[in-house]
Amino acid sequence: MNRLSHNMSLIYQSIIYVCGFFLFWEWLRPLDTITDTGSVPVFVIFTGFCFFLSLLKVKWWISSPLKIAGIIFIIDSLFIPEGLFSPGWFQVLVMHIQFNFEVMLNQDWSQMTPLFRSMLFLVLLWLMSYLLYYWCVVANRIFLFVLLTFIYITVLDTFTSYGANIAIVRTFIVSLLAMGIASFMKEMDKESIKFVGIKKISAWLIPIVAVISFSTVVGFAAPKLTPQWPDPVPFIKSTAENAGFGEGANTVQKVGYGEDDSQLGGSFVQDYSPVFRATVEKKHYWRIESKDFYTGKGWERSTELNYDELYNGEVNSRTFSDTVKTDDYRAYIDLEPDANLPKVVYPYGINAIQGNENVQYLMDRTTGSMEAEGPEVQGVLDEYAIDYSYPSFSLEQLIASSNDDPLEIQSLYLQLPTNLPERVRGLAEEVTNTKKNRYEKVKAIESYFSMNGYQYQTTDVAIPGKDDDYVDQFLFETKIGYCDNFSTSMVVMLRTLDIPARWVKGFSGGQKIDVKNTTIPGEAGLYQISNSNAHSWVEVYFPEVGWVPFEPTKGFNSPVDFYEESSALPEGTETETPTPEEQEQQTEQRQRQAQERLQEEEESKSGMESSNNMTWQWYVIGGLVLIVLVYLYLARYRIASYFLLRKYEKRSGVKVYQQAYHFLLKVLEHKGYKRETGQTLREYAKYIDTNFQSADMSRLTYHYERILYRNEMDSNQWENMTELWKNLIKRSLS
Amino acid sequence: MTQHTYLYNSKINNVLTNINRVMIGKEEATTLSLVALLAEGHVLLEDVPGVGKTMLVRALAKSLDCDFKRIQFTPDLLPSDVTGVSIYNPKEMEFEFKNGPIFGDIVLADEINRTSPKTQSSLLEAMEEMSVTVDGKTLGLKKPFFVMATQNPIEYEGTYPLPEAQLDRFILKLKMGYPNPTEELEMLNRTSKEHPITTIDAVMSKDELVGVQHMVSDVFVDATVKEYIIQLVTGTRNHRAVYLGVSPRGSIALMKAAKAYAFIQDRDYVIPDDVKYLAPFVLSHRIILNSEAKFEGFTVEQVVQELLDKATIPVRKDYR
Repeated sequence: MNRLSHNMSLIYQSIIYVCGFFLFWEWLRPLDTITDTGSVPVFVIFTGFCFFLSLLKVKWWISSPLKIAGIIFIIDSLFIPEGLFSPGWFQVLVMHIQFNFEVMLNQDWSQMTPLFRSMLFLVLLWLMSYLLYYWCVVANRIFLFVLLTFIYITVLDTFTSYGANIAIVRTFIVSLLAMGIASFMKEMDKESIKFVGIKKISAWLIPIVAVISFSTVVGFAAPKLTPQWPDPVPFIKSTAENAGFGEGANTVQKVGYGEDDSQLGGSFVQDYSPVFRATVEKKHYWRIESKDFYTGKGWERSTELNYDELYNGEVNSRTFSDTVKTDDYRAYIDLEPDANLPKVVYPYGINAIQGNENVQYLMDRTTGSMEAEGPEVQGVLDEYAIDYSYPSFSLEQLIASSNDDPLEIQSLYLQLPTNLPERVRGLAEEVTNTKKNRYEKVKAIESYFSMNGYQYQTTDVAIPGKDDDYVDQFLFETKIGYCDNFSTSMVVMLRTLDIPARWVKGFSGGQKIDVKNTTIPGEAGLYQISNSNAHSWVEVYFPEVGWVPFEPTKGFNSPVDFYEESSALPEGTETETPTPEEQEQQTEQRQRQAQERLQEEEESKSGMESSNNMTWQWYVIGGLVLIVLVYLYLARYRIASYFLLRKYEKRSGVKVYQQAYHFLLKVLEHKGYKRETGQTLREYAKYIDTNFQSADMSRLTYHYERILYRNEMDSNQWENMTELWKNLIKRSLS
Repeated sequence: MTQHTYLYNSKINNVLTNINRVMIGKEEATTLSLVALLAEGHVLLEDVPGVGKTMLVRALAKSLDCDFKRIQFTPDLLPSDVTGVSIYNPKEMEFEFKNGPIFGDIVLADEINRTSPKTQSSLLEAMEEMSVTVDGKTLGLKKPFFVMATQNPIEYEGTYPLPEAQLDRFILKLKMGYPNPTEELEMLNRTSKEHPITTIDAVMSKDELVGVQHMVSDVFVDATVKEYIIQLVTGTRNHRAVYLGVSPRGSIALMKAAKAYAFIQDRDYVIPDDVKYLAPFVLSHRIILNSEAKFEGFTVEQVVQELLDKATIPVRKDYR
């Protein structure tokens, strides 16, 4: 009889758990509508698998390997083309994990690869199956989960494109069934009625089915009121848009490449839609064009675009001199059809471009802007290959560079608005007054922004008012901005020092998305460059070298490499005291390296300020310590019982026994079973045993009474007593 | 607990079973009476007539193979009616002492409050001193000697309530109470043919009883438990509702009773539970409430319960 009733309650618990699974399924269903999650069925199957294993009460050392195998199998079939467990397979997996951990440390959540995200998601599903097992079977409390499910579905229905018309009906039926059975089981348990006979089952099964079908039919068929409140979504959106600051004209733009830079400033929202993909051997910036005329509000061109046709795609025009060391590479670029990028993106040192036949490439030599021309307007620019010699600049050469700028360079690239506030020049001079040569001055200004309280931020960025200068406002007032602020400020500051400089637009290196076809580990691979990678930086003219790119924006690294030819400085430069200079240079180098280490390799617009990285890590460490402390506090009895048990197993004696017994009392009190004043140990033991439905506490108390009131200890009973104690501790801590 | 005591313990349990065959639903009263008997004390039964007081004592006496005597106290009862009297024997030419009912082993003193204080004191002297003084001669009483006195709480007219000093002589006071309907039905069924008292036999001898009384005095009482007793007793002396608290004789009575109870419970040591269980029976009749408390409707039982609820149970010792 007892066995039967146990089996019955097991069946009901299983039904509740299965209902829990169906409810959880409702959490997974919207994923392919509202997120970019693919293969939702796979996740559902895996969830079902986890639930099934929990339901069978499989031992953890069997179920865990099975679940891990499941995860590996899914990851393998979805993401890794290499044979399962082949060396390449492991390499791919390890690379992914390494990369993602770096990304996570950097808080670059958007950069996480799909493989890793899926893996985390699968682990989450696994954990959820445990949580629901606890809720449904162990605690028999399902209401909270039902409530959360309803909130989830209704919120999604309200705020996203997910339509939950049918989902809400399904959830309603499943949750009513689950709660009905759960409440039935609780009643049975409370009244300690046993599950016997089929008669009783129908006695409650029929009402439950009747109530569910009745309310479902009525709820489904009954007329419903139209929404009584206006749709909250547009309201919230409009509120959010107005919540800016500034002079009222603050607008939020979408980040991306745009032609018009005459009015810079203002916040923007990140847009992760891809623009193009590039297969490269080396990760680097993608240049589009430069601008030379600073208006005080933004950038314009002082010259009209003058396109030359490129014969056979050969460019024959470099922004740097032939003395610069280069490495030859080839890049393949594949544009997203929806991106509407009208210009050619290319790396530094472009030699030639090859695209589809019939497509003619054009280039404006001044700005470097390139366009394509073909028989069809649409789809002209879809894919092309670029041969290029990527430069790395010799520090010696840059330091040795003179100040003899050609006239045409001076005329174009020293322009400044007449009403530029004088303090900009003052600042530039102050920053560079100890620097002797052009390179040092440039580096001083480039690195000035990283140390002086400037913050990288894409929201709440000011737009200069009618009488404000864009650079002046950023340098002295707001100190908050993104790449345009940093790069424009650097160009303007350099120009006040009569150093020719120009403003360059393009894209940063993007995100590595696939490692399939790489033979060389490292930077080589397929990169996806999205609108959020749109970037601007600075090119500075060095007479003997040409245009050298610099990167003033916080959180970004220099787009090109600088190297030292030898430890000694070349002849011809000031030689009086080479040591301090060298030291200075080394310090600078070290600072740079330190900064690089902090910033990691991945740069993007969504990156955090590097100065915040340290505090962020401290937060994480502090948070972890706090979590550990809280855990230790909550588990203090469990931990103490572990150590006490070790002790009792080794030692015996009245003192130890008393200590153990009183520890047990404390644990029980902690669990809500308090011994009242005036309550004898025997009465208390009976109370505990009634609650635990055992006789262990009375037996243990009997031994303790003999010790306490008889001064007698039966050492033969020690083992027995330890066993009782252990059971009780386990019982009360479970 | 040794083999020896274990044997006697089972005999005590037999006595209880035996009595319970006669007394239906009176296990508590039976046990408490036995506690008093084993602790060499006496019992004051306060209850209305007809609830089985006499039957209890008779069953007890019969089970223990003891001599049972009964004294019905009336207003005209004289001390000599209790103790006995010297009568002139013309044949022997001298006075001869005739033993009174007090010389029985188990004496039922029925309606003790109906007789004059003089007669009452003759009984109480015998209870306390274990001896009787008649005509200047002191005669010792034999062990076992157990008095169960009853008093009727209803009638006050023509009664002489026992003074507090004399109440103190009883180790415990208990009430029988009415049986519940089921018990009463069972009682009717059992007595329809012949009274069950005629069917029971002695399960223990008089000597054995004296031996058990001796063993009971050997039951171990730990210092912590003694402290607990003292805590309760001093509590009665300091209680706001109490005019007169429990005397040291009361402490001794509580400890003795606890020992006897522990023995019945198969233990050779006293635990606080024993004390806690017996305290209301041992302490209640030794407490006099002050007039305010009486006016407020406070009862002695409430005082004792309050003390028990507040008392600290000894649950640990300092081991060095």
